[in-house]
Amino acid sequence: MGCTGIITGGSGGDDAPPEIVPGVHCDDERPGPRQLRLLTRAEYAATVHDLLGVDVDTSSIPVEPRVRGFDNNAAAMAVTSRHLDAFLAIAETTSTAAVKDHRAQVLHCDPAAADCARQFIADFGKRAFRRPLTDDEINGFLPAFQGQTFDDGMGIAIASMMVSPSFLYRWEVGISAGSSATLTPYETAAALSYLYTGSMPDDELFAAAAADELKTPEQRKAQARRMLATERGHAQVAAFVDEWLRTDGLSANKDAAIYPGFTDDVRRAMAEEQRHFVDDVVFAKNGTFKDLFVSDQVYVNAPLAQFYGLPAPAGDFAPTTAPADSGRGGLLSLGAVLASHAHANESSPVKRGVFVRGRLLCQDLPPPPPTLNTTPPGLDPTLTTRERFSKHSSDPACAGCHQLIDPVGFGFEGFDGVGARRTIENGLPVDMSGAVQGLDSLADATKVPFTDTKGLATVLADSESAQACLPWQYFRYARGYQDDAYDACAIHNLQLDFTNGQLNLQDMFVDLAGLPTFNQRKAI
Amino acid sequence: MSNISRRQLLAGAAAAGLLLPFLRGGRRARAAGSPQKTKAIFVYVPDGCIPAKWHPIGSETSFTLGPMTEPLAPVKDHLLFLKGLDMYAGGATHEGGVRKVLTATAPQSLDVYLGEKLNAVDQLPHASIQLGAASNFQNGSGSMSFIGAGVEVKPDDDPVNAFTRIFGAAPGAGGTGTEDTPEKKRRRSILDLASADITRARAKLGAVEKEKLDIHTASFDEVQRRVSGQPIAGCTSQSFDLRGYANITTDYYPKTYEKEDKFQQVGELQMDIAALALSCKMTRIVSLMWSHPVSPTHIPTSGAGLGNHDASHYGDPNSGTATDFVSLKRWFMERFVYLIQKLAATPDPDGGMLIDNAVVFLCSELGDSNLHDHHNMPFLLAGGAAGQLRGGRLLDYTGQVNGDNQPHAKLLVSIANMMGVPITEYGYTGHGTGPLPGLIG
Repeated sequence: MGCTGIITGGSGGDDAPPEIVPGVHCDDERPGPRQLRLLTRAEYAATVHDLLGVDVDTSSIPVEPRVRGFDNNAAAMAVTSRHLDAFLAIAETTSTAAVKDHRAQVLHCDPAAADCARQFIADFGKRAFRRPLTDDEINGFLPAFQGQTFDDGMGIAIASMMVSPSFLYRWEVGISAGSSATLTPYETAAALSYLYTGSMPDDELFAAAAADELKTPEQRKAQARRMLATERGHAQVAAFVDEWLRTDGLSANKDAAIYPGFTDDVRRAMAEEQRHFVDDVVFAKNGTFKDLFVSDQVYVNAPLAQFYGLPAPAGDFAPTTAPADSGRGGLLSLGAVLASHAHANESSPVKRGVFVRGRLLCQDLPPPPPTLNTTPPGLDPTLTTRERFSKHSSDPACAGCHQLIDPVGFGFEGFDGVGARRTIENGLPVDMSGAVQGLDSLADATKVPFTDTKGLATVLADSESAQACLPWQYFRYARGYQDDAYDACAIHNLQLDFTNGQLNLQDMFVDLAGLPTFNQRKAI
Repeated sequence: MSNISRRQLLAGAAAAGLLLPFLRGGRRARAAGSPQKTKAIFVYVPDGCIPAKWHPIGSETSFTLGPMTEPLAPVKDHLLFLKGLDMYAGGATHEGGVRKVLTATAPQSLDVYLGEKLNAVDQLPHASIQLGAASNFQNGSGSMSFIGAGVEVKPDDDPVNAFTRIFGAAPGAGGTGTEDTPEKKRRRSILDLASADITRARAKLGAVEKEKLDIHTASFDEVQRRVSGQPIAGCTSQSFDLRGYANITTDYYPKTYEKEDKFQQVGELQMDIAALALSCKMTRIVSLMWSHPVSPTHIPTSGAGLGNHDASHYGDPNSGTATDFVSLKRWFMERFVYLIQKLAATPDPDGGMLIDNAVVFLCSELGDSNLHDHHNMPFLLAGGAAGQLRGGRLLDYTGQVNGDNQPHAKLLVSIANMMGVPITEYGYTGHGTGPLPGLIG
């Protein structure tokens, strides 16, 4: 029985999708849909901070839906009344706090001056809406000051702008000309700033937008490189990696009786470990795709070192060479990755195999067919996890897909359900051998054998599928819609530039801004 | 009927071209009860069932409950068990199931649809309210309420936040809510300016993202209406007992309301909030999700060691895994009894008790969890629906449509009809339209 991936349609059109020639740059990029992108909670918090200097608690805002693992799918998000309740409540308190405690940040004129209210609305409104306000809009907000003290008027104006669609959504609407629309310079600035810093544009981007200096790929790439180098830029790359690797599973309930050592301190340290690892590879080392996988460095603090059975580090999360027998080093042995893709009470060859196929190889597998009994084997103290899951490969109804999944997941068996190293399970030695079948094409029956996550890391680092998958995932994250065959040209170009650029990670992030379609949308 | 006459109701139905199905439904279905008093609650429990251990056996009025439904015995007279309903179309998966259980493939879920429809007239503070117990936690499969095609309304899992939002003040904050405070005046000023701004934004966008802006505008209108709304007597914020529950700010892995040892308490608080919201006329529609599809939740007090989803793949119906799954399901049914008893003990502002006027739909996203199928769904109704439903019954719809089971889309139609929304179809129509026969009356 074969195993066919799911193809989901997204933003396609009526015409034929672009044709791709391997190894050749594609000059037929198709623009994505015009969309209003509701700020995620993280983007919202960062934006309010940058706009008002006030930190906010976003826990009353509904969680984002996950589409293909990412939390920023524009089509799946709309402002429900619960959103507005939360946005309004936050706007009411933060506007008051901003006027009281951060007056200089929001007000740049003397309230005694005749035109100060109007100037305030124009100045603040431009930063809140990420574009200059129209005269209509300025006049529309002016009544905020009627019958109020100047400060109260400011507060009301700020709060009312904070529940505006112009604030809550990133607009990718543009100006239509024929069959496509071009984002305005200000929309382009916001597209860049949210992608690279997770927040509103800074002064330099505003200035570039005002001067219409975000039109060319080179101009956008220069801005992208500048923002990536900032602290926010680093954090944003880490945030992307969290979503790419789905390490939000780190907060799952785990069985404390089986895993007593998996404390909140250890979980926090694992989240930190991943951030430091990514930061070191992408920025400090200016590394490549291969450096993400093949590494002998660990980034731990004392509690995590103890949990992993490693010597105490010289400094918290400073890169340290891991002992060879620790199995540590590289993305696949990160505690956050291992614990996220596991059960509450055991490891999971299936979850880990699906993780590699879906997140790292971009080979999304279909769910089990209807009416197939998919009951997993029960816990058995006399067998290893691997032995219990062997039925998948012996039952032909399961084997079609699971021959692609389980042998990959078996290679992770050197780590338990919370990411601790193990060489013995239930008194039996752990077999860490695995194999990847269909590495570069699911139809290919060739099996590539490996041992332990380190072995798998080498296989993936050299795999064309894996190298092509990271830019593809980044494209999804950047665009905020479900891609389809019409996006193939833009994705292909990003992948081609990645390969031609020796797989440099920073360059790949920057190249996204250089895609000709970055500021193009389909007209309607 | 108290407020509108039967003639008015029939005239309205006829004007909408919907009279025929009502008349075809027979004497019982015609204008029985008082739909305008009906309140709906949609309760979700995760991961299907073992059909042979769920569905009762016997006749319409004399039947024996299955091992999974046995704990419902104390409230049996309020319940209407439904057998032989299938969810057609869409993928036979957890994800496909939760997407269609309240939509039957329509763009909106029934709770949201009815809320919008009814509140256009009722003008209550909340069109509908979506609550959950750990329903967003580690949820990779989606939730059941949709405001538009593919746009979920995520349940609120935090009971403190839910209460504060619904009633406009934190539990125990004091005040009657009727005073016109400076804060309220300020809020009105903010919303007035924002309202004008939305109009400008819509004019600018034209047809771009119209559906999204429509949702935004409707949400805005609802929030704006709340500012001028007056709470009804006896519904002050002091009256709610959190029973010692508090969010602990240092809880992160997971948050307080996501911790397994809080699952029951959070769920019960959410049911308390649901009952209070209905009895205070904050809304007529509440949804409650216990966890979510592919639920990782462990409930040690149920006696089951396995997490819900792991147990749901029970294999042999006599296996230890199946025993765990039965224990978990019985635990959920005990919580459902709590809800029914709560509704039976809470006065309804329209007269009687909430249970008399409620229609409660208990649902899940799968039929047989071993098979991930959508056949013979573990569904039941509870409550009197303002004189439209009689409990203590078992209705079997097996094989009624040319040998196929009745579609659950008809059950959604029936619920809408009981709420006074005279539709004849909702979503899927492949196995016919109209309400479920023999249900109402």
